[in-house]
Amino acid sequence: MNAWTPERRKRLRIALVVLFVVLAFGAWFGWYKFFRVVPQPPFNTADERFLYGSLGGEESAGIPYWIVYVLPRVFPDLFPGPNGWAAFGFSWEEGQELPVGFTKKTVGFARVGNNCAGCHVARYRLSPEDKPKFVPTGPNHTFNLEAFFRFLVDCARDPRFSAGALMNEITLASDLSWIDRMIYRFVLIPITKKRLLERGPRFAWIYNHGLPYWPDWGRGRDDAMNLTKYFLTTSPVDDTLGPTDMPSIWNLKKYKTNPNTRLNFAGDSYDANTVIIDSALGVMGAGPSNNQAFLDQIAWLTKYLEEYPAPKFPSAIDQTKAAAGKVVFDAHCASCHSSQRTGTVVPVGEVGTDVERIKSWNKQAAIRANETVRGLGIERRGLVEADPTGYVAAFLDGIWLRAPYLHNGSVPTLRDLLRPADQRALFFYRGYDVYDPVDMGFVSMEEQAMRLGVPWEAVKAVATPYDVRWRSNGNKGHEYGVTLPPGDKDALLEYLKTL
Amino acid sequence: MNRPMDDAWRWRFWTLLAIVVGLPLLAAVLLALRFLPDRPVTYANIEDHFKYGSTGGERNAGFPLFIWKVLPVVFKDKLPPNGGEGYEAFGMIYENDEQGRRRELPVGIMRRRNLGLDRVFVNCAVCHTTTAREAPGQPRKVYVGTGASHFDLGLLEKFFGDIVVDERFNSNVLVPAIEKEVGVRLGLLDRYLIYPLAVFVMRERLMMVRNRFGPLETEKWGPGRVDTWNSAKAGLSFVIDKLPRHELQGAADFPSIWNQRKRMRRDDGQQMQLHWTGNNIEVKERNLSAALATGATPAVIDHVAIGRLETWLLDAAPPPFPFPIDEGKARRGATMYAEYCASCHGKSGQDFSGKWVGHVTPIDEVGTDREHYNSYTYDLAANQNVFYAGTRYRFTHFRKTKGYANLPLDGIWLRGPYLHNGSVPTLRELLDPPESEAKGGSFRRSTFYRGYDVLDPVRVGFISDVPEENGRKFTFYSTKELTKSNGGHLYGVRLPAADKDAIVEYLKTF
Repeated sequence: MNAWTPERRKRLRIALVVLFVVLAFGAWFGWYKFFRVVPQPPFNTADERFLYGSLGGEESAGIPYWIVYVLPRVFPDLFPGPNGWAAFGFSWEEGQELPVGFTKKTVGFARVGNNCAGCHVARYRLSPEDKPKFVPTGPNHTFNLEAFFRFLVDCARDPRFSAGALMNEITLASDLSWIDRMIYRFVLIPITKKRLLERGPRFAWIYNHGLPYWPDWGRGRDDAMNLTKYFLTTSPVDDTLGPTDMPSIWNLKKYKTNPNTRLNFAGDSYDANTVIIDSALGVMGAGPSNNQAFLDQIAWLTKYLEEYPAPKFPSAIDQTKAAAGKVVFDAHCASCHSSQRTGTVVPVGEVGTDVERIKSWNKQAAIRANETVRGLGIERRGLVEADPTGYVAAFLDGIWLRAPYLHNGSVPTLRDLLRPADQRALFFYRGYDVYDPVDMGFVSMEEQAMRLGVPWEAVKAVATPYDVRWRSNGNKGHEYGVTLPPGDKDALLEYLKTL
Repeated sequence: MNRPMDDAWRWRFWTLLAIVVGLPLLAAVLLALRFLPDRPVTYANIEDHFKYGSTGGERNAGFPLFIWKVLPVVFKDKLPPNGGEGYEAFGMIYENDEQGRRRELPVGIMRRRNLGLDRVFVNCAVCHTTTAREAPGQPRKVYVGTGASHFDLGLLEKFFGDIVVDERFNSNVLVPAIEKEVGVRLGLLDRYLIYPLAVFVMRERLMMVRNRFGPLETEKWGPGRVDTWNSAKAGLSFVIDKLPRHELQGAADFPSIWNQRKRMRRDDGQQMQLHWTGNNIEVKERNLSAALATGATPAVIDHVAIGRLETWLLDAAPPPFPFPIDEGKARRGATMYAEYCASCHGKSGQDFSGKWVGHVTPIDEVGTDREHYNSYTYDLAANQNVFYAGTRYRFTHFRKTKGYANLPLDGIWLRGPYLHNGSVPTLRELLDPPESEAKGGSFRRSTFYRGYDVLDPVRVGFISDVPEENGRKFTFYSTKELTKSNGGHLYGVRLPAADKDAIVEYLKTF
């Protein structure tokens, strides 16, 4: 029989200690390399925090930094343009490591996530020779979100998404240690590939496209309510399509002026806080790992967005003409756009604009979404649990930078919006960033390009085509002020520059 | 008893141990001795270090020395047909060593023992060293720190891109050629394993270079010129074919790189804007950016070796003008220069003060060729921010500017031809208008030749009307071609001829 002699006991004790040390080291190593959360370095300004601050989604949905880094090197042909991440129409500031809307945070290893600024920083220039100006909280009319979604999945489906091909580029660009390279090669790259492939089936509806029934969203738009349906609530995929413009999200305190105001284009949410939470959850692609940290960031965002002022028109304004325009505005526009009605839902039968966006959301989806968010332990006022019936009469602050117009971006300029629907542009390009201060909108047609000295080829190389005859793209309705004399229209446009 | 048996077993045990452990250990040591050393050839003299020293880039991009040497022999038919021998056909410079023997490698080629081979690649000097002669019969002198006016980088890239898809680029041709042409006997390991593998890896790398850089049409650059920014785009894997046409041709001259310390400060207390377009103000960042072209990526860069160069370049000064200068005429020129040139180009060749020195002049105002300016784009500046990510050297200072930077003129006599694109052969001609605006007076020549290295002691620059010397043909330059316009910079062109001569005389003192 094996007795527990003192010698055996001693041996066992040593073995246990060694085992413990090894296990402890292993645990520490695993924690250090995969789970250790390092807060982002502090930001110098509130704008910087908005542009690059983490929402807390990196833990679950962040992509390893060096994979993000080398995707443009390995898959240049899968980008919509020739210039790396800039090709998707992200804003990218001089000197910044990542485009606006990309967050870098170390959770074990450096990971990249996204935040609100990806869709909500506007860019414009007054001449093709200028550098772009970036306006935080403005609509990112240049960003091709759908192409970005597809791109990540397409990369994962490509045979080049292999440890060999990616490590080849990572080794050229980085000075990672041997251990980190092994972690990338054998852990991070395979897992990232698997995760991205899993997104594929849920994005089936953005691969479905064919004209004219399933147009691409194009630059500056997203199918917001379907994204919510399929990703926040995992509702079954239906046949609806409702891409709308990325909205401006400055000056959100305006919605507090009147208890009947609603947010989202069809008045789907009660308050800004709800929209910010739901949008953030959508961007993160998963529930927060730490609810309190998440809600703190939401509270900060809500405050920031409530107070952020709408941008001033960047060129000279003829004040006399604008004063005349104010008279026109008060007579023809103010009843909806500067009144108790502003910010409330106007029935679609009355405004007459394209109806597809309304069809893309419903009461059942709202109930399900509210349940989902409640299930995450997050309290908010919530989505309106009713079928949408119309579109919100918009506040017009900073309207000059919110082109193209109407909820679906179907009218390229404000001047065009003042024409009868059957005389508005049928086909144009959107997503180019030179601003036309005369017609008030971005250069989207050849006539404007010639007038402003922009090479039309350059516009077409960047922008995506938009045809109002494609489904959900209709430019009918909102025929207010269309019969005004030309002088009044000019004056009205001048006044709109002051808002 | 049993002792003999024990001995036998003991003997067997040790034999087995020797076979199982000892032999592999010995092999491992031998292999380690062969493959692990990572040792650059070093030079005590700083100019030699500049000309032949390592940046670390060979670890990434280095060609095996023997393959480098045999390529122009095997692919003689792919060399530019200009009468030049071997790499000299690209305008590379071979010096003699202390014993008066021709060096094994030309200026600008660095060498390092790495992965069991001597590996070589271009370093900074290949683009920043030139030769000059005072007269056709005079000795050829090597000058470091100026633009390599006669070196055709574009043709060299084209050569490597061409040979990699040639069927002779395989070990069955190259390995015997090494033994025959270079005259080395390769060991079994080298002949059957290492060199075939090296050829294979080289082909993969050169295919990447061919695919990314080929669309730039580098052969159009001409000697002394490089399309820096489109090369950067290609390195970043931008799809060149999809770029807008107006930014696709941006070749400009290799610049001089002396006196970096004085470029760190301009009159308003800021740093000078560097590069032709003034797109960066940080000397360190600019240096690392340029070093990328030598293969020195973050993983392999030799910061110590490059640091030595950087320190030297802070105060490295150009050599004096090698011909007599008419002092009286130069003094008169100095007053004219002070009036017409100094505010943008500095007081003298040593004193870079001046209100606009190191600032950018808007493109429409200076009016020189736009293509290089167009080739540098906002999107490229943004993408450059990722270089050296994860290190404290990450690039943060690249900016799109509105035109070209006003440069100090130190050593200007050795920096011809002039303007950023090398479109004006001599300084004296730069003070004349282009032919189309001359109205019968003297003008900037519209066609000339680049590559001849005899200096022009009067007009200042290289003599540029010589198409050929001893069978070596030079490269024709026409200002009608894209990127090569000689328009713009019309400063001082209305002065009387005598005043222009005086200014040129003063510039000889720079």
